[in-house]
Amino acid sequence: MTPALEISHLRKVYRSGTVAVEDVSLTIQPGDFFGFLGPNGAGKSTTIHCVTGISNPTSGSIRIFGVDAVADYREARKLVGLSPQEFNVDPFASARNIVDWMGGYFGIPAKERHKRVDMLIERFELVPHAKKPFRELSGGLKRRVILARAMVNNPKLLVLDEPTAGVDVELRMDLWRYLQELNRDGTTILLTSHYLEEIERLCRTIAIVAKGRIVRNGPKEEFFTEPGGLERAYLSATGKTADHAQVAAR
Amino acid sequence: MTVNWIGLWTMVRREIQRLWRVPIQAVVAPLISALLFIFIFGFVVGGRIASIGGYRYLEFVLPGVVMMNVVSASFLQATSQIYFQRFQKSIEEILVSPLSYVEMIGGAVSIVILRSVVTALGILVIGTIFGAVHMHSLPEFLFWVIMVSMIFGFLGIIVALWAKTFEQLNVLMVFFIQPLSMVGGVFNTVGMLPPWLRWLAYGNPLFYFINGLRHAMIGFSEGPMAFGAIFTVALAAVLGAIVWRLYAIGWGLRE
Repeated sequence: MTPALEISHLRKVYRSGTVAVEDVSLTIQPGDFFGFLGPNGAGKSTTIHCVTGISNPTSGSIRIFGVDAVADYREARKLVGLSPQEFNVDPFASARNIVDWMGGYFGIPAKERHKRVDMLIERFELVPHAKKPFRELSGGLKRRVILARAMVNNPKLLVLDEPTAGVDVELRMDLWRYLQELNRDGTTILLTSHYLEEIERLCRTIAIVAKGRIVRNGPKEEFFTEPGGLERAYLSATGKTADHAQVAAR
Repeated sequence: MTVNWIGLWTMVRREIQRLWRVPIQAVVAPLISALLFIFIFGFVVGGRIASIGGYRYLEFVLPGVVMMNVVSASFLQATSQIYFQRFQKSIEEILVSPLSYVEMIGGAVSIVILRSVVTALGILVIGTIFGAVHMHSLPEFLFWVIMVSMIFGFLGIIVALWAKTFEQLNVLMVFFIQPLSMVGGVFNTVGMLPPWLRWLAYGNPLFYFINGLRHAMIGFSEGPMAFGAIFTVALAAVLGAIVWRLYAIGWGLRE
């Protein structure tokens, strides 16, 4: 079966010389709910940026459902939806326009697009806020707009970079339910998060990245058969165990 | 590969909505500036200047005023559009979409042309009030407005991709484009310049643009029209190819 995402020896060096991703290889099977964990600066967002076209990989290859994300970028982009960590929108545009424009860029005809936008605006409880400028929305509402925008093209691979950062518990739970529904319906999901609970609850496969390399990768069950579960495995894989133990001892 | 017309139209309507938020800056300011140029240089000063090639001075000046505003509108549109999208990171919405590089550039330049044409038509309306508008050849008029818009649209995109600060957006405009416009024959014929200064006109690309538009409007030309047209098309093609290459490698667009 063609993997939903296949990253092979990805390396990304910024013009400043900073090596953001040293050597990342991973495979996500279609229909998987894949958790991508790692400390700040580990290379999670850069990897996602290379997958979605925001960054150019320095070397390595990325294939999305078998389509090369660099050589055949137009076809590859059609398959992906991205909810980035930072709000990358026109802050003066309305919530509805932000979602609608993205549908337009994906070439969705007006009638079908309006229906889809209406559904997403309703699904994320944005109806009373749809005409408000993005900058006037609260943090949680902004996050909902970004999520609705990521889903407007009905992507086969949904990439969520810290989607629940700064949102209230209610929305987080609601979003979890929605993501599980989407995943059940066949959407492959790549999720990065700092909330271990979120990864534990949602993901079937987990990879831990540290210093630009994958240091652990496997089915969720593997992490839970170890003493201390995912938290212990995460701290151990990212080399934080000693510091953590010292803090606890104090 | 089919063209993503819906994506292209989305880029255009999105930018129209942005411009709608700043109508004074986008539409009213160039028209007021043109009105003042027409009034002072054409009407007040022009009343004391003999006709040029059988045309009143105001009729001679008007094509130059239109061209100056086309140049300025297209450059400002391209720089503000691309630089603001980079600054807000909303350019990432386009980068993650299935638009080709040609479509991304085509969408940006379409808006540049639209704004320039609207500005040019607005000035023609003002010129009509002063009884100074002639149209020797409409296709020629459209050729010059569209080609020059493309050239300064491409230049504006290059500057917007290069700029790290708002200040840098103005460098090319202040130090090159505006001075070259002024000495490119907006207010005077080449014959009015002393012979030792005429190279300033003939060596200046803006001269060929202004001369071309003047020919389109009043049928008066001081330079080789065919050379001017070929040079203009070639310049647009070269700049377009450079912009395409910059998009393809992600210069100023992708980290």
